[in-house]
Amino acid sequence: MADQKKISRREFLQAAGAAAGGLALASCAPLPATPPAAETKATAPAVVEKKTLTLAIQGFAHDAVRIVLDEWEEKTGHTVELESGPTTGQEMVTKYAPAFQAGASPVDVMSDADDSGPIFYRAGWIEPLDGVIPQETWDDFPAIFDQQIEVWHSYEGQRYRVPHEFAIGYTWHRKDWFDERGLEPPTTWDELVEIGKAFTDPPVWGTLEAIKKPGLMYVYMAYLTAQSGGEIFEFDEATATAFQFAHDLIYKHKIMPETALSMDYTEQNEEYMNDHVAIMRQWPFFWGVARGNEAWYEEGKAEIVPPPSGPAGPKSWWGGWGFSVPKFAPNKEEALDLVAFLTSAENAPVLAEGQSWFVMPRKSIMEAMGGEGLVPFMKEYVDAGVPAPRPFHPKVAEAQSVVDDVASLYLTDQISLEETMERGKERIEALG
Amino acid sequence: MSHPISDEVRADAALAREAVQERALRRRAGRRKVARRLVTLFLLLLPAVGLRLFTAVYPYLQTIRLSFYEYNPAFPPERFVGFENFERMASDPSVTSSVSFTILFVVVSTMLQLILGLLVALLLNRAFFGRGLVRAINLIPWAIPMVVAAIGFRWMYNAQYGIINDLLRRTLGFTVAWLTNYWSARVAVTATNVWKSTPFLALVFLASLQGVPEELYEAGRVDGTNRLTAFFHITLPLILPQVTTLGLFMLVWQLASFDLIFTMTGGGPGYATQVLAYAIYQVAFTGLNFGYASAISMVLFVVVAIFGTLGVLLYRRVEVIY
Repeated sequence: MADQKKISRREFLQAAGAAAGGLALASCAPLPATPPAAETKATAPAVVEKKTLTLAIQGFAHDAVRIVLDEWEEKTGHTVELESGPTTGQEMVTKYAPAFQAGASPVDVMSDADDSGPIFYRAGWIEPLDGVIPQETWDDFPAIFDQQIEVWHSYEGQRYRVPHEFAIGYTWHRKDWFDERGLEPPTTWDELVEIGKAFTDPPVWGTLEAIKKPGLMYVYMAYLTAQSGGEIFEFDEATATAFQFAHDLIYKHKIMPETALSMDYTEQNEEYMNDHVAIMRQWPFFWGVARGNEAWYEEGKAEIVPPPSGPAGPKSWWGGWGFSVPKFAPNKEEALDLVAFLTSAENAPVLAEGQSWFVMPRKSIMEAMGGEGLVPFMKEYVDAGVPAPRPFHPKVAEAQSVVDDVASLYLTDQISLEETMERGKERIEALG
Repeated sequence: MSHPISDEVRADAALAREAVQERALRRRAGRRKVARRLVTLFLLLLPAVGLRLFTAVYPYLQTIRLSFYEYNPAFPPERFVGFENFERMASDPSVTSSVSFTILFVVVSTMLQLILGLLVALLLNRAFFGRGLVRAINLIPWAIPMVVAAIGFRWMYNAQYGIINDLLRRTLGFTVAWLTNYWSARVAVTATNVWKSTPFLALVFLASLQGVPEELYEAGRVDGTNRLTAFFHITLPLILPQVTTLGLFMLVWQLASFDLIFTMTGGGPGYATQVLAYAIYQVAFTGLNFGYASAISMVLFVVVAIFGTLGVLLYRRVEVIY
């Protein structure tokens, strides 16, 4: 039997102590200094350290972004890895806030939403972009963006995010059905009701909007409130008018199904593409969704028209996503350069041509894309003054949750309209 | 007058002194040995204890502390508010409604899971053709991720094209807007939860049933018991500890339910299906309102503590000692 050397407790403790001490000392020691390139190779030109950056953006946009990234990588020698980013502002907060609060960032550049961006800037987690983004990039945005950039992309006079998306709710209708019946698309709420009644014969509905909690309910209520001329976070009279109208669409006029209250956008789109909806509001992505459904889509089935007018006119609020750089980004300098490159007037049209999500009424994009895709409709909306500013609140995510909650209670007949407005006001006031 | 001390006595005394010293030395050596062992023990346990303190105790203490503060990293600085967060909760319908639905959801779900799980286990314990296959099929709902199940059921409950309403329409001539009405939404999420977890309970009960000695049933048959009597007087008392343990486990575990509600209803309509864990998530991660979220977490902690204590007391009453 082979001799086995026993380790005494004393030896074990000594060894463990020495190892722990060694580790502690090693961690305290300064990192070995990297000699400057000039010292190592006196005659060679300075070598730029190649870095790998991480850019988080929604998965469907990766192919379009990659086209532009290749050029930047070639120019700088750095590499960019694409990561699937969150799809909502709420997810942005959930995913990144813990890391940022710990003074770290898993990404160098991120595509950030309206309802998370302001929270991040206020908390001091985003790098200011003043002096990084050239003035010609900002000049490429039309005047309609001014207020939005001031409110949603800036904080205390500094800019933190560059818009890369113009999200506005378009009104889509079944032109083929309307033509068949000799009807024109509705231009007012009253016409929407009348035409909706003409089409409604379950499972076919005059109109439909997915208003599942959380998030989607707020989107629709803010849309109707823009048309009624209200300030949704003030729960004013015009907001009450919008809420009442939504309630009437379901219970009085019965042109929108009660099941809309539990639907998400996928279900809404499915209903539309199953020939169950005559007219609806939906985000620009439906352009691609409808056309991607080759078995169903043909001209006339998903045509865009201006939204119906409420008391304040044909309005639809808009917002969007933008690029920003976390303060704790591992490669901050390179990340700032990348954002400047991605959002330049040269590259914005390339992104827009690659993916409709990047289509915005930026001068360079409108010029490059002319009458392609969504661009003419976007121009039509902008020219008609349809875009309404996104309602702002310093605690926007919480304020939106308040609307979600009270609207959901009201539209499921759990509380009256008066109580809805009272509760809404109280809870918004409680946010401070 | 002094007595001369003999050499013998001196020698004895010296021996006695030596013996005392030796004993003292031995005692000291023994104490050192114990001390060394304690140090070793402490050093060996330190990483595990440290990790536990860091991952469980520290967050817990921090949550208690934060519950007395208004703290939102986007709106610094944090501010001590005493019991304000707790006072606010009392008049916040999203919290009061969440507390009541959480208790209802957990108690009803657990009761149904226990009853149905036991029934399924009794069926699977019988000898019949294809029993192995049926036992495997029984486990399918449990093996499906909750989020997938929740999405599937959301579609099944859809009032327009869902299979459940289609069956209702064909057989009874009416439909229900399952997820948009207050009570039907509550029934729908509870039923989905019961469907999802019952197979797990059935599996554990099946194992318990197989541990009940056959001789007891034989003795019962000799005494003239029927199946029902045998179940209530032999089977149930013997598996009651497992039933109680699982019941306690399911109660406490389901108090933190989140994924089903998040995916299926988002807590709606209104607050009808909002549970405490979801309310905490909403407050903490939509608005970064960590102070208020911590206060709600304390309520969840109290609810878990009450259920846990009741469960342990109940378990002690039904414990079987062979």
